[in-house]
Amino acid sequence: MSQFRTTSLQFSTRGQRMWRRNQNTVSFAPTAALGPVTHTVLIALMIAVLGLIYLTQVTKTSLYGYQLDDKQTKLDGLLAEKQNLEVENARLQALERVKNSSVAANMEAPASTDYAAN
Amino acid sequence: MQAPKLHQMSRTRLLGAGLLLIMAIFIVRLFYIQVLQHDFYKKAARETQVTKFTIQPDRGQIYAMDRNEVTPLVLNETVYTVFADPQEVKNPDKIASSLRRIAGGNVVDGFEQGLQNKKSRYAVLARQVTRPQAELIKKEDLQGVGLQEGSRRVYPEGSLASQLLGFVDAEGKGQYGLEGAANDRLKGTPGLLQAVTDVRRIPLTIGDDDIRRAPKNGDDLVLTIDRNIQAQAEAVLAAGLKRVNATTGSMLVMDPNDGKVLAMANMPTYDPAKYNEVTDYSVFQNSVVSFPYEAGSVIKTLTMGAGLDSGAVNASSTFDNTGSVKVDDTTIRNVEEDPIFPNTTMTDVLQYSLNTGVVYVLQQMGGGEVNQKARETLYNYFVDHYRFNKKTGIEQANEDDGTIIGPNEGYGRNVRYANMTFGQGMDVTMIQAASAFSAAINGGVYYQPHVIGGMRSSDGSIKAEQPKVVANNVLRPEISAQLQEMIYQGRHKGFFGKFDPAGFRVGGKTGTSQIIDPKTGKYSDENSVGSYLGFGGVDQPKYVIMVRVLDSKRTGGYEGTTAAGPIFNEMSNWMLKYLELRPKQ
Repeated sequence: MSQFRTTSLQFSTRGQRMWRRNQNTVSFAPTAALGPVTHTVLIALMIAVLGLIYLTQVTKTSLYGYQLDDKQTKLDGLLAEKQNLEVENARLQALERVKNSSVAANMEAPASTDYAAN
Repeated sequence: MQAPKLHQMSRTRLLGAGLLLIMAIFIVRLFYIQVLQHDFYKKAARETQVTKFTIQPDRGQIYAMDRNEVTPLVLNETVYTVFADPQEVKNPDKIASSLRRIAGGNVVDGFEQGLQNKKSRYAVLARQVTRPQAELIKKEDLQGVGLQEGSRRVYPEGSLASQLLGFVDAEGKGQYGLEGAANDRLKGTPGLLQAVTDVRRIPLTIGDDDIRRAPKNGDDLVLTIDRNIQAQAEAVLAAGLKRVNATTGSMLVMDPNDGKVLAMANMPTYDPAKYNEVTDYSVFQNSVVSFPYEAGSVIKTLTMGAGLDSGAVNASSTFDNTGSVKVDDTTIRNVEEDPIFPNTTMTDVLQYSLNTGVVYVLQQMGGGEVNQKARETLYNYFVDHYRFNKKTGIEQANEDDGTIIGPNEGYGRNVRYANMTFGQGMDVTMIQAASAFSAAINGGVYYQPHVIGGMRSSDGSIKAEQPKVVANNVLRPEISAQLQEMIYQGRHKGFFGKFDPAGFRVGGKTGTSQIIDPKTGKYSDENSVGSYLGFGGVDQPKYVIMVRVLDSKRTGGYEGTTAAGPIFNEMSNWMLKYLELRPKQ
């Protein structure tokens, strides 16, 4: 019993605090340990993962360039359409067109001009 | 038995050393490239990755007035050039048939041959394709075919005010008229986009040295030109020229109270959208500003103003009109039909257009004879007061400053200056004559004639430009009023008075100037130029109109009366109604 307790004392102070009668507080020290090569590989992996995370975040901002280009293309298209509509509007209101319209054809030049008294 | 010892230089150790050596070489090389050569490779990468885009600005648009509303005269329209990479084209027949169906009127000649030329990487298939057409071409998904966006000028009113506006050439530079004179204001400033781009040349937002400078579009200009007055001026001028079998003429309508030009018409005219089809380039010129000529008797009004203001004569002065006057060895005569009578008044001089009368004014400037003092006085008024021999500064390309020979230059000075009193022996443009006339009748203020009334901002509001006073002392105000009255009486009592509606105040002067025959070098009796310069209004002048007919086929030497006068009458009567002026009862 005492050797178990000793083991508990050595490796599990928590177990020691929690120790109560009839409780199994035995825990075994891990016999396996990470060697220097494993440490190196793990650190390299962690750096690689961090690097990947950094890369994805940085390249995310470059995607904004595509979104901007897309929005700019749409804006240019709308502006061009607005411009063309203004041109069409101007053509429809041109003097020559109005003069030759059916509305103008039904109008007559006044025979005389009279002025109302003030 | 003892285990064998490992040899110090075993193959494992050798291999390990070799690997270390190779790794060392890599590390040294990487250090050299990434640290020592850092700037070099960074620069090389930037040159490959970074692209500069020049962002073309929109050319300023041009608007006219329609009474108090703004109406477009010159706009921009997005158009496309269809091009192909013949090496990428797989189905040229499909491309040809699609283009003919969608953009048949815009295809370039021989574009099918261009598609077959596999040595080339660029072939233009169609130009000036509109946006709806471009959308249809895109939908066809033609391999090897691309669209290049561009812009072109559009003239919704056709050939209206063509010489005044000018046009924009294929390189985007304004030529003639307003496009030429105000090119710097209209062209804008290009912008710049410098950024790292991907393989499709799309800018990415990852560079530290990105430059984004937005283009500054050209100014949208609002003219003082009234669309309706301009259209009416062109119609009246065309009809008037046809009546007298003439083909070439001009009309100017302006406001004498601030120098605004309301209309500038020239015949023959052209369509600025098809400027490349014009064969006679003289049609591009705005003759109102760029064609000086001997204006003839319209100048008598200004000579009279000079005489009154200098004190040489006054409104009640008279002289003995004998029909001719001798200056040095030359006899200057009136037109045969003009009356000959003593005690001829200064108003009679204008009414009957007496050459002898204005020579009398010149003589009085010299104390009774045409001499140096007389010449210098007249020169002073013509150049320093009326600003002949100087450009007016109107916003038109190729303005001419005319020719006034100095009072002490050349031979036959007295005879030349006697001729100048009735508008011969000197060259002026219509804009110079009309601007001087406006100053002479408006109280003596010379306003710079202008066609730009203001700037239109993107929200549609107009920032007006203020009229510019060039001189205040052209004539004294009381002299200006006297002169205006004399010009009015001269017309009212004369031939054209009966054409004016009652209650309005319309004054003016004809001018018929001879043309020098290039064969003889002398004035010809076969052809002459007819002019009319006048004003109209109720109490005060509201408009000044000048008409010029260059090639009337009616002979007789009265082109001012027969050719130009009727055009003025028609335009003046229309202006009285258009401006809604109420006659005096």
